[in-house]
Amino acid sequence: MFRLLVEPFRDAYMQRALVEIVVLSALAGVVSVYVLLRRLAFVGDALTHTIFPGIAVAFVAGQSLFVGALVAGLLSALLLTAATRIRGIDHDAALGVLVGAFFSLGVVIVSTQSSYTADLTALLFGRILTVDTAEIVETTGIAVGVLVVLGLTHKELVLRAFDPVTAEAMGYRTLLLDLVVNGLVALVVVAGVRAVGTVLVIALLVVPGAIARLVSERIGPMIVVAVGAAGLCGYLGLAASYEASLNHGVRLGSGSTVVVALTLAFVLTAALATLVRRWRRRPAASRPAIAASA
Amino acid sequence: MRVLDQLSSPLIRRALLEAVLVGALCGAVGVHVLLRRLPFFTLALSHATFPGVVLAGILGVSVYLGGAVAALGLVLAVATIGSTRRLEASTATGVALAGAFALGVLLQSAQSSATRNLAGFLVGDILTVNAGDLAMTALFGLVVVVALAAFHKELVLSAFDAIGARAAGYSASRLDVLVLAIVALTVVTSIRAVGTILSVALLVTPALAARQWTTSIGRMMVLGAAFGAVAGVAGIAASAQWDVAGGSAIALAASGLLAVTVAIQQARSLPRRLGFT
Amino acid sequence: MSVRYGRDLALDDVSLSVARGEAVALIGPNGAGKSTLLKAILGLLPLTEGRVEVLGQRPEDARERVGYVQQADTLDAEFPISVLRVVLMGRYRAIGWFRRAGADDRRQAMEALAEVGLADRAKDRFGTLSGGQRQRVLLARAIAQHAQLLLLDEPFNGLDATTTEILIEVLGRLRADGVGVVMSTHDLAVAHLTCGDACVLNRRRVAYGPIGEAITPGTLAEAYGSRAVQLASGATVVTTTG
Repeated sequence: MFRLLVEPFRDAYMQRALVEIVVLSALAGVVSVYVLLRRLAFVGDALTHTIFPGIAVAFVAGQSLFVGALVAGLLSALLLTAATRIRGIDHDAALGVLVGAFFSLGVVIVSTQSSYTADLTALLFGRILTVDTAEIVETTGIAVGVLVVLGLTHKELVLRAFDPVTAEAMGYRTLLLDLVVNGLVALVVVAGVRAVGTVLVIALLVVPGAIARLVSERIGPMIVVAVGAAGLCGYLGLAASYEASLNHGVRLGSGSTVVVALTLAFVLTAALATLVRRWRRRPAASRPAIAASA
Repeated sequence: MRVLDQLSSPLIRRALLEAVLVGALCGAVGVHVLLRRLPFFTLALSHATFPGVVLAGILGVSVYLGGAVAALGLVLAVATIGSTRRLEASTATGVALAGAFALGVLLQSAQSSATRNLAGFLVGDILTVNAGDLAMTALFGLVVVVALAAFHKELVLSAFDAIGARAAGYSASRLDVLVLAIVALTVVTSIRAVGTILSVALLVTPALAARQWTTSIGRMMVLGAAFGAVAGVAGIAASAQWDVAGGSAIALAASGLLAVTVAIQQARSLPRRLGFT
Repeated sequence: MSVRYGRDLALDDVSLSVARGEAVALIGPNGAGKSTLLKAILGLLPLTEGRVEVLGQRPEDARERVGYVQQADTLDAEFPISVLRVVLMGRYRAIGWFRRAGADDRRQAMEALAEVGLADRAKDRFGTLSGGQRQRVLLARAIAQHAQLLLLDEPFNGLDATTTEILIEVLGRLRADGVGVVMSTHDLAVAHLTCGDACVLNRRRVAYGPIGEAITPGTLAEAYGSRAVQLASGATVVTTTG
């Protein structure tokens, strides 16, 4: 067991990957709690798709992908905030349209290159094993920035999430608060793109928060649980994909293994939570089951 | 125009036909996606079909079957997760989406298939459509159209007024499931043409454009189908002209159509909004 | 303090004023503009004509001293937040950006909770309280804010008797302390118990003045239209409120 958990990280490249995933998980874990409170799963997913053309342009032009993602990310945050705040339009539909338009734009741009499918795959699914120190520094920079902003504005963000009407009545500009949160989510997507790719970063933004909510009813503990779950799954995912790829001949992509680990963690937590709930209520009073209709 | 020169090529002809069929189908079904506020769920569905398709490839069964089963799995997963009151619908959808997709990617990477398959699945590979695919598309399209037509008034009623529908005796949840099943089937059908992620584009954009022109659901569906078909043709033409990815060009064309529609509507209402009669 | 305004469309030339310690009930059917009126007082809506003056200032500047109490059932019952923290939200403006709530803020929040009789539930999750208790918590939030003008949007909707009594009592105490109250409600009996004045409206002002004079079968008929039914005893019953 010890061997499985430690041996993968003997080499420098695995150590770098581990540091990157841990920093990313801490960041995504915290932000995912706010994503849960504000019900931003769709916006977060939309962001992963609208950032793509920025990356595509940078890729085709041979420029830094990070800068391309960053510019596209901040622009997207503006655009998506507008799409969800303008009165009179169907917000869900607007997000759907933007996802379609932007993502297809990105694919078209990448497809101007001849070998585009391989490149596309790397852009979409990440390459954490090739992360270098400069990228770790960039990720850490983003993490620090985002966490500082969240720390300073936490109470206002919670107020807005819980009671936007009263927040406005008290004089807070909820539009600005929304812009800030969407911008922070965009930054997490930018940071996560290299590690797990645009398609899977949504998992980091949604699942840790969901796990935390199953475990706790208070925001503080939720943040701790989210960060812990994300970090642990990052670590285990990396170790598992290494082990499988090297020692068992099964090539598992690192990014996707991390996400699968997160999903398993969620399923386990949900099962445990349900069992605990049932056990607490014995003799069981019938609990009203409210099925969600999507 | 290059596409006109290439019309003699069976490849292009099939691609065009597929684009028209898929565009029309998505345009019509898209009206219901909008009615019931299903864009995010549709995006999730499109991600969720991925593991099904990969598994179908591994097991050697029809990808359409695999995709359909996976879509069903997603619907169940979202319903189950969402039924714990602590997590509401969009969170449940996000979790299910992420998990399903990662599973698919994992399965895919475990097989040492060419990465080409993966990307093709995501963004479509319309130029390699064969006669069999066309037949499936046509068949699914027919099934969906018949279902939509047969249940038209019940579907419209239950979308607008769930309580009224139940009062009138229709099982609202069965109708919901019907719509979800139709959307799932449409997504699976569109994978070949535009890939998973962009099936959302075709399901939302032409229908939204159609909605700007009429309030009658029936007419919206016909108009949406027309817009979708036009987008399909325009996309293939653009793809042939500039040598870019076909499916994405179709999605972009649909977005362009929407933009033009919105611009026209804004221009028409401008006199009124500026204060002139 | 005085509040005066007029506006087309949602509100047509409506005006009223509230002085220290006074309470005005807004009576009218749904869609009559009661919520619009409250929002106008908060300065959240542009006025077509007229002006609003709150505590001698423009509404935007007076917001810190205006407490808005909305209907508790619009809030997500699953939200992971404690009762105490909800009440603390009333102090956020005073605490300011980038700072955290201190011990003094907590004390004031607990005092506000005690006023509505829920100090013992401070640590519980907001959603675990009953509807009436949640409404009381929202009132405690406005109290913690030390608001000088309270705006309440249908606070008595669907409340149990205990909560109704407590709310009436607390509002009475607040009025005695000089807090002004503007409250929209459908409950005419409660309006009589809590408010000295009433403004009956349906887009435009049907009646305004001391509550006994403003609410009459005639004015109710005018505001509620066919939904006000006059009984043989002379009393008027409003059949539906929407």
